[in-house]
Amino acid sequence: MTATLELPSYKEQSPEVAERFRHLKEREVTLSARGLGKTFSSAQGPVKALSDVNFDVYRRELMCVIGASGCGKSTLIRILAGLEPLTEGEVLIDGKPVAGPGPDRGMVFQSYTLFPWLTVKKNVMFGLKMTGSSEMTAESEAMQWIELVGLSGFEDSYPHQLSGGMKQRVAIARALANRPRILLMDEPFGALDAQTRAQMQSYLLQIWRNVDVTILFITHDLDEAVHLSDRILVLDRNPGRVNEIIEVPVGQPRTTRQFLQPEFLATKGRVSELIHPPRETSDEHLPIFKMTRVGDEVV
Amino acid sequence: MPWFTVGKPLDKMRASLLMGASFVLPLLLWSIAAYGPFWSNSKEITIASDTDDKDGFAGAIAPGDVFEADRFSAYQDAVRNDNKALEAAQSTPEPGQSRANMKVLRSIFPVAKEEGWLTQDQEKDYDALFDVWGRIAENEKGAASAISDENLPIVQQNWARLSKASTSYDEAAFVDDVPLLRLVPEAIDKKGRPVFLPAPHEVLSTAIRDFSGNSKLGDLMLGERYIDSIRTIVSGFVIACLIGVPIALLCGTFSFFSRLIEPFVDFFRYMPAPAFGTLLVALFGIQSAPKVALVVIGTLPQMILMVANTTRMIDGALLDAAQTLGAKRPQLVSKVVIPGILPMLYNDLRILLGWAWTWLVIAELIGTKVGLTELIDTHGRRFHFDHVYPWILLIGLTGFVTDQVLSNLRSILFPWVPEAGHSRVRHVLERVGNWLRPGQHKSSQAAAILAKPKEETST
Repeated sequence: MTATLELPSYKEQSPEVAERFRHLKEREVTLSARGLGKTFSSAQGPVKALSDVNFDVYRRELMCVIGASGCGKSTLIRILAGLEPLTEGEVLIDGKPVAGPGPDRGMVFQSYTLFPWLTVKKNVMFGLKMTGSSEMTAESEAMQWIELVGLSGFEDSYPHQLSGGMKQRVAIARALANRPRILLMDEPFGALDAQTRAQMQSYLLQIWRNVDVTILFITHDLDEAVHLSDRILVLDRNPGRVNEIIEVPVGQPRTTRQFLQPEFLATKGRVSELIHPPRETSDEHLPIFKMTRVGDEVV
Repeated sequence: MPWFTVGKPLDKMRASLLMGASFVLPLLLWSIAAYGPFWSNSKEITIASDTDDKDGFAGAIAPGDVFEADRFSAYQDAVRNDNKALEAAQSTPEPGQSRANMKVLRSIFPVAKEEGWLTQDQEKDYDALFDVWGRIAENEKGAASAISDENLPIVQQNWARLSKASTSYDEAAFVDDVPLLRLVPEAIDKKGRPVFLPAPHEVLSTAIRDFSGNSKLGDLMLGERYIDSIRTIVSGFVIACLIGVPIALLCGTFSFFSRLIEPFVDFFRYMPAPAFGTLLVALFGIQSAPKVALVVIGTLPQMILMVANTTRMIDGALLDAAQTLGAKRPQLVSKVVIPGILPMLYNDLRILLGWAWTWLVIAELIGTKVGLTELIDTHGRRFHFDHVYPWILLIGLTGFVTDQVLSNLRSILFPWVPEAGHSRVRHVLERVGNWLRPGQHKSSQAAAILAKPKEETST
């Protein structure tokens, strides 16, 4: 813990960052979770997965949700998307409660969910056609989104011909094409290798800067959370509930060089503390196994 | 690289070698069984005669019968002895022998048929048979070579008596008071294989004769029967699809229909379809309707369960994604479920079509027997296995070829399925396309497009 002593507190904000957060909170609230709870019934009786989750996401904010595995991150985002019914509370979009999935909440999944029988272009057009756009409009809009995610030239490729990173870029374009109020991203880069993941993070930041979109991003990767977010929502587990909402004191725009800045490390340290509390067990009582074979002289 | 590695595919050379071997080996086994030294030498009778030695040779003996060599010699000797007795009897004429003599007259028929002088239906055409005797006796155009040297004097002697009575066949003037001599039995060598084990070359030659329409069994109408069989199976299968696929899609998509329909279907499929044969005849008559219905009954339960299961295999994440893009229930079914399972559905139907073929034979046996099955059944009962096997092979081959074609078509119909690039048919079609339009390197263009994303991947 010696290294953390030299770091500033994650709560110290430079004047620019403080100013930024002041502005952010003046914006309207795009998504709002009010007393959100979810209880599953199981053979052992009801299991509470989420309990009294309250938070707001402001317009054009990028918020990450992080938590130890099993804390209900995915359940939370599926409830927000309307794919999972909630048992308590409500979800508001622009102040109005929503039920069930809808094109106002676009979603990018961890698994590749491009429709394999449609080309890149047709995939991006899918949502537009579902929401009633004509073939012509949908096509010209789709081409713009494909260009935005840097995949011009691949519009007639099938998903199986694309790499993992490219597939997720198409998925982002497909979700954005519907002009959703919020883009929900459920560990979208979780299946990618470290290099591609870093590339995708910078793509995402670039898109976020160019497009008027609010993003809620689920991850279990500390660096990713700190690197991408305005604010980080840390979830506790058993049951899942909000532990702290951290305002990331790292300046904008984000670059990979910030990974070694004190405020970056301080924030990362704090998140790490919250989701991996220090273990209280020691290994003193564990028996020692000697790797000897039968017949060997035991020393 | 070793031939046996756990869980590793073999290289292309060996794989194709073994593919060839998988067909050559059974053929080899058949050849060994048929040509191996397991079977005694036998005689297949070409000319048969009655013998008075009823103790040794009870029952009628007909051309085509197969005797062991020793027994055949004994049979010949028996007829020779008969001839000696008959020759002795000729010195004391006695009327009432025309019936036996007409039998002798007829015994020349297999020779005449083999030589092409007479046709199958002239077995009792005494005018023609009468002329045949004359033709051989007088050795017209070398006709005498059609019979053995031993039989030639017998023919000539008989002809002398026949022609003395009248120059052409005349029932009233037919030799009645002296017995004609009997033809000494003739035979060709034949391996004494069991009837169910004809040799490959025999099957091949009968197959060629049967399929080219010169069958020894007369006009078989193989082409019509074949089309008939195919019509039965295709109509049965199409009807099963029209009923089964929509039900299966409903079951696979909505738990409601799955719970309502599948348990009974699961029960129903254990009841053997042929057991409904008589019911189907009662319902649909004896023509082709009950046969089609049997193929439907046999295929439908499997189809519903299999396709429903396939439908359930649609990736739930795709349905989630579609909903977040604004798709509602009808669109989920029409725009996600159906296109999503189409390649698997195609595969299921291909496998089910294979099963439908197994119902064909049983289907064609109910009501009036028709199609290839009628031939297989009828001639199987008569032990004409050298004819039956090619027809069975024809059914097998049709199924196999259809399946291979459909399997290769899959990658053309569904280009988004990853293994599309490996289709041999597609490869051939591309080659042909290039050849037809010189200067346009279509396949290299396609290759470039396909390669492009790969480059991107590596960056």
